[in-house]
Amino acid sequence: MADQLVQAAPTGSSLRIRRPSSRPGRTARRGRVRQWPGAVFIAPHMLMLGLFMLVPTVYAIYTSLYTTKLIGGTSFSGGANYVAVLQSSQFWDGVGRVLLFGVIQVPLTIALAFFFAAIFDAGIVRFSRFFRTVFFIPFAVPGVVAAVMWSFLLLPGFGPYATFAQALGLGKLNFFSSQLILPTLILIVIWEFTGYNMTILYTSLKSIPREVTEAAIVEGASLWRIILRIKLPMVMPTVVMLVFLNTVGALQLFTEPSILAAFQPQAISFGFTPSLFVYNTAVGSGEYNLGAAAAVVLALIIGVISVAGFAVRRRNGEFK
Amino acid sequence: MSRRAKRQSTELVPAHLYGLRRGTTSALTVLCLLFAIFVLAPLVWLLINATKNQAYVYGSFGFWFAGPFRLFQNIAELGQDISGAGIFVEWLGNTLIYAVLGAVGATILSALAGYGFARFRFRGANALFFLVMATLLVPITSLALPLFLVYAKVGLVNSIWGMILPSTVSVVGIYLMRTYIEASVPQDLIEAARMDGASELRIFLGIAMPLSVPGLVTVLLITVVAVWNNYFLPLIIFSKNSLYPLTVGLSSVSAAAESGTKADLVPVLITGGLVTVLPLIVLFLFLERYFRAGALQGSLTG
Repeated sequence: MADQLVQAAPTGSSLRIRRPSSRPGRTARRGRVRQWPGAVFIAPHMLMLGLFMLVPTVYAIYTSLYTTKLIGGTSFSGGANYVAVLQSSQFWDGVGRVLLFGVIQVPLTIALAFFFAAIFDAGIVRFSRFFRTVFFIPFAVPGVVAAVMWSFLLLPGFGPYATFAQALGLGKLNFFSSQLILPTLILIVIWEFTGYNMTILYTSLKSIPREVTEAAIVEGASLWRIILRIKLPMVMPTVVMLVFLNTVGALQLFTEPSILAAFQPQAISFGFTPSLFVYNTAVGSGEYNLGAAAAVVLALIIGVISVAGFAVRRRNGEFK
Repeated sequence: MSRRAKRQSTELVPAHLYGLRRGTTSALTVLCLLFAIFVLAPLVWLLINATKNQAYVYGSFGFWFAGPFRLFQNIAELGQDISGAGIFVEWLGNTLIYAVLGAVGATILSALAGYGFARFRFRGANALFFLVMATLLVPITSLALPLFLVYAKVGLVNSIWGMILPSTVSVVGIYLMRTYIEASVPQDLIEAARMDGASELRIFLGIAMPLSVPGLVTVLLITVVAVWNNYFLPLIIFSKNSLYPLTVGLSSVSAAAESGTKADLVPVLITGGLVTVLPLIVLFLFLERYFRAGALQGSLTG
């Protein structure tokens, strides 16, 4: 049952494309197998993918090349919108902010997740089943609700966490001040996603053969050495996948700051993150063409970072 | 291989073999406990504050009850339109419709496509699968706005199908179904059925799908959560508040509550948040093992 998915973890959890396990040689020998029904089976999905992902992508690029004016209507403007986006310091501030956010949040989340996954996998913590369940719960909480809860909890002055910080002698902390807003968002996102990452890593660690651990113990390796030197390298493909998914998520950061903006408008600017910039430009200011151009630039930035990441891995020979 | 892996995953190496000091185990357990408190605290806060009125939400200690017990009045207010923001119960109904239809659609499409990719070698299969995986790279924020602009052209703005149809595209669903079918539907079985003259559709419905039920449940759950928690797409494509799902509805209440000269909206916001998360947490606790398996290759969205 579910275990079979678990079992597929070591290879399946990396993002590389595997060939289907049906061996072409055997199929060819039998000769009579019709292969075209495969195309029919995937057709409905490809149709939806085309209509709801490819068409909008193409249309976004098309729209971004035009400009709509109050007087004079819509006209072709070439790269003018792109120039406007690329010259917008607000846009680049946002890009810089989500990069900084990602550089801190992604390693923290994955390190925490791996730490917990490893000690649960080693079976050295009591009630580990209970902890695993609890840690995963935020996955079921929408980002909107998470941000609302944390907005109240971190409320300057009255909020329980500000009171708590004061009791610890940290003074009057304003979690939404310009210095602390980024750490606050990092805290919220760590709360949301650590358990989810932990679950994936735990499943991956579980698929390491028991003999590997036993051999290491016989050799006299300590627990921490086994975890960091033996198990971590074995689940590296999963870690890479998680770094990739978390980074893409971080660069798209939108829900949490947009909800916090209602509570603390001064803390979240127009272009706080690139996604907010896209939203505020298009929906807030009604400049759809400019918004489309910003969306295309954001997609390109994410694409370039992802491809660069994969290229580095491939060059290091860790990716087949 | 399968049986062997299963045995290994259920039997732990006895902890004492690691030669840890007793203090280490206790310290680690304490660390886990602290993190568990960190995780549960906001949810406990939500539960407690759903019983308060607005004054006590701000004026009393967040982690204990205070003032009149108003949980049921707060829940009753979810059925009313307060200050024109919309009606929570309608949003709940919308969310159920979007989540159920979107997830069922995504599961059907993923099962078909996963089977197609797993068990057929047709021209262009690898390229198409690569294309499917590459769409993981396209950020939802870059997609939702153009989608809205296309909807404006074809009249899908403020249509529930504008929300449901894109939700049926699930890259993770396809990946999971393909992996699952490769592992649990033997090629020989399919070929034996072909020898007997069964049609391809019959093989799919009668053999492949019954063997894939756990995989199907996993995909269904993952996509229900994804649609239930989706915020950006409905935020962009709906302008009528009677069409909002819970996430967008709550964010509008949140904005109204904070810009706030309006009536007591904070209890509605908090109680609404509670009612939004409870169904999914309950669903998750009951069907946890499916989530665990599926989370394996799930995707993260920001």
